[in-house]
Amino acid sequence: MFRSVLKSESLASLIALVVVAIVFTAINGRFLSRLNIEGIIVSASISAIVSLGMTFVIAMRALDLSVGSIMGFVAVIAATMLSHDVSLSIVIAISLLAAAGLGLANALLITWLRLPSFVATLASFSVILGLSLIITHGATVTIHNRTLSELVIGRIYGLVPSAALIAAVVFGVMAMLFFRTPFGRHVAATGGEARAAIGAGVNIPRITTGVFVISGALAGLGGIMTAGMLQNADSTIGSGAELMSIAVVVVGGTSLMGGRGNLPGTVLAGFLLSSIKSGLNVANVPSLYEGLVFGGILITALMVDGMRRTERRKGMLVV
Amino acid sequence: MLDMQTFKEITTSDHDLVDGAQRRLRATGLRKRFGVVEVLHSVDLDLMAGEVHALLGENGAGKSTLINMLSGRILPDSGQVELDQQVVNFNNPLAAKRAGVSIIAQELELVPTLSILENIFLGAEPTKFGIIRWGEAREKVAAVLNELGIDAEPSRLTRTLSIADQQLVEIAKAIIGDFRVLIMDEPTSALNLEETSRLFKIISRFKAAGVAILYVSHRLWEVFDIADRVTVLRDGEVVQRSLIKDTNTARVIQSMLGPKSSLISGATGRPKRSSVRSAVPVFEVRELNSGRILTNVSISVDAGEVVGLAGVLGSGRTELCEAIYGLRKVDPGTKILIKGRAVELDQPKKSSRHGIFFLTEDRKQEGIFPQLDLRENVVLPNVLDRSDRAKTNSVARSNLVKVTGFGVVSAQDELSRFEEMRRSLNIKCSASRNNVTQLSGGNQQKVLFARGRIAKPFVMILSEPTRGVDVGAKEEIYAAIDQLAGDGTAIIVSSSEIPELLRLCTRIWILRHGKVVSEVNSAETDEEAILETMAG
Repeated sequence: MFRSVLKSESLASLIALVVVAIVFTAINGRFLSRLNIEGIIVSASISAIVSLGMTFVIAMRALDLSVGSIMGFVAVIAATMLSHDVSLSIVIAISLLAAAGLGLANALLITWLRLPSFVATLASFSVILGLSLIITHGATVTIHNRTLSELVIGRIYGLVPSAALIAAVVFGVMAMLFFRTPFGRHVAATGGEARAAIGAGVNIPRITTGVFVISGALAGLGGIMTAGMLQNADSTIGSGAELMSIAVVVVGGTSLMGGRGNLPGTVLAGFLLSSIKSGLNVANVPSLYEGLVFGGILITALMVDGMRRTERRKGMLVV
Repeated sequence: MLDMQTFKEITTSDHDLVDGAQRRLRATGLRKRFGVVEVLHSVDLDLMAGEVHALLGENGAGKSTLINMLSGRILPDSGQVELDQQVVNFNNPLAAKRAGVSIIAQELELVPTLSILENIFLGAEPTKFGIIRWGEAREKVAAVLNELGIDAEPSRLTRTLSIADQQLVEIAKAIIGDFRVLIMDEPTSALNLEETSRLFKIISRFKAAGVAILYVSHRLWEVFDIADRVTVLRDGEVVQRSLIKDTNTARVIQSMLGPKSSLISGATGRPKRSSVRSAVPVFEVRELNSGRILTNVSISVDAGEVVGLAGVLGSGRTELCEAIYGLRKVDPGTKILIKGRAVELDQPKKSSRHGIFFLTEDRKQEGIFPQLDLRENVVLPNVLDRSDRAKTNSVARSNLVKVTGFGVVSAQDELSRFEEMRRSLNIKCSASRNNVTQLSGGNQQKVLFARGRIAKPFVMILSEPTRGVDVGAKEEIYAAIDQLAGDGTAIIVSSSEIPELLRLCTRIWILRHGKVVSEVNSAETDEEAILETMAG
């Protein structure tokens, strides 16, 4: 039983999601209120979008530690441009281009300087955070224009927040890209066995570049959406998002060993972790404890990932 | 005509070939140098349409280098390759594949986390508007999978397949799509007879379709079964090229071995000790099983005896050494006995506590510590912390390097131990503080050997002890092995070089497909007999 649950990671996330909902509702009925559910949907959508990019990165057996700083940077420049009355479509276009550009910079550090992705993105994290601080002088930029927030938290036909629609579209495109295009399969091949991928003619620098541009662009999208959700932006907007999205990806069933990506699992896990976060809130757990809780979840997910790997190794001594 | 002076036999020329056949591939004057060693000296090769051309040679003869050049994995230093009269320059495997040169690599090149189907089409996915058409891929591959006898669902991950099935997928990957030249490097090493005969049927079909096939195998009977022509390489040179119908196994083996084949059958260098075997061998492995890799292997070795393990790549020789030392999981029921007493060796540190030492065949990756100097490379692994010292048996403990009361390694003892080894093994270096990577392969190997010797091990397992070592250093290592055995260490040598095993060992176990197929007394056999048993 335990093993089969381990294998169907998505099912495990779904069960956990139901359990979380029951537990927190029992503690405080407000958990299932419309307002709270909408809040969960918006933050889960943002988390899922950023984590879908991270799923590509981890499937390639790399890490992107700069996603949080990219979110913050993009939120800050978007808010600044909006406060200068730049039109929303131009703001979004420039922000996403900037985010993709930062992803490209990560890729160049990795492919040209041959740095491990972990080190390269740790360095760019610091640089990008520094840029955001310089732009804002450490202050918060308030967004008075409501068009952006309408785009994120406004309801579609009065039903769900539009963030969910954005996340659904991103999921559809990413799933298509990952499972049904040569690019996606080459990402998985690179993470699974780079030597075999090279032998089959996969251009690894090109794949690496594509993956980090996607990760950067989706982090940027997450950053704009966060700014819209909060109606303001400062450089700390994405702080901790890199660890959070790694946790989401691993909880969603994608192994840090690379070679495979569970995209539906990532979306489910995004909802799971956002629900837990919101649940802790309605249960009046001080937010100081959040780091502890999510650190614990990340460690548990990594342990489960480790157990799954040993299972495999026992079955196949050779690989 | 066999030229007895040079042991060269070139009997075919261009017009001898299959009448009117078209030349698919022609390589002329291929040379390749790695570091200071030239491994291929101006090799010519041509492959005709509809021909199966066997490429034979001992380990290190240059076969892999040649194949890697033809398939774009390495670039030749000089020489040229023509494909259907067009000069080609492949600088990557994909370029070769696009031009119609397909290769079944010896080492599996599959992505374990992708499915059979995804692996087969990796890098060549059928798409429409950028989207992969998996349905079309499935249809394309169904016939090939069926022909090869792969029963598994195409959507199964390759890491869940047996080695034989993985090899079949590797073959499927090479034969999907269009190609004019097919290079097969030991395609049958993991296949059983039935699977092999299915593969041969497929090969005949390609022959009929005009594909030129270069076939590398250690199994001589296969070569004589399927090939039309044979080229034998020795020390980077073509030493025989003939039509299969004009030659035979004995002559091919003789060309592979060269002049040394007559020396080896002489008595020179044979182990002198008559091994009087005690009732209970000091080290014994009984019924060792390890997954699908090793089946029911039993070997034993006496104090002061050197025994050998022979077998082609994939026979389980290396894996057996690893299993004995605790680097590879063994199945329950496996017994390892030291002086008749059962011990559990599931971790290398346990083995070393029992005085067992393992010399890896992968010196660079698993042997030397590249950042450390010579002295540390020899001595450090023989320094144990207090808790490990307590668990080590008393004999082995007395040989460890002294550690002072404060847990600090005694520099004096360290130096004197190193100097002792340097003298007795003739390690050529200017100072004990030299970096180990500055030494030649042979001297690095001596450093590793010294590391084992310093502990005066009870059992020493040597995997390819002279790989990448020049001839002079080889002799010195042989002498050191003899000397160590003279001191009473039981030694197991695994080697792909049969003359080496004959020179060192009293008894040799021959492995095939993870099973012991023969145990021979080296005084009563010769290289040809062993090669034939290995090939099966």
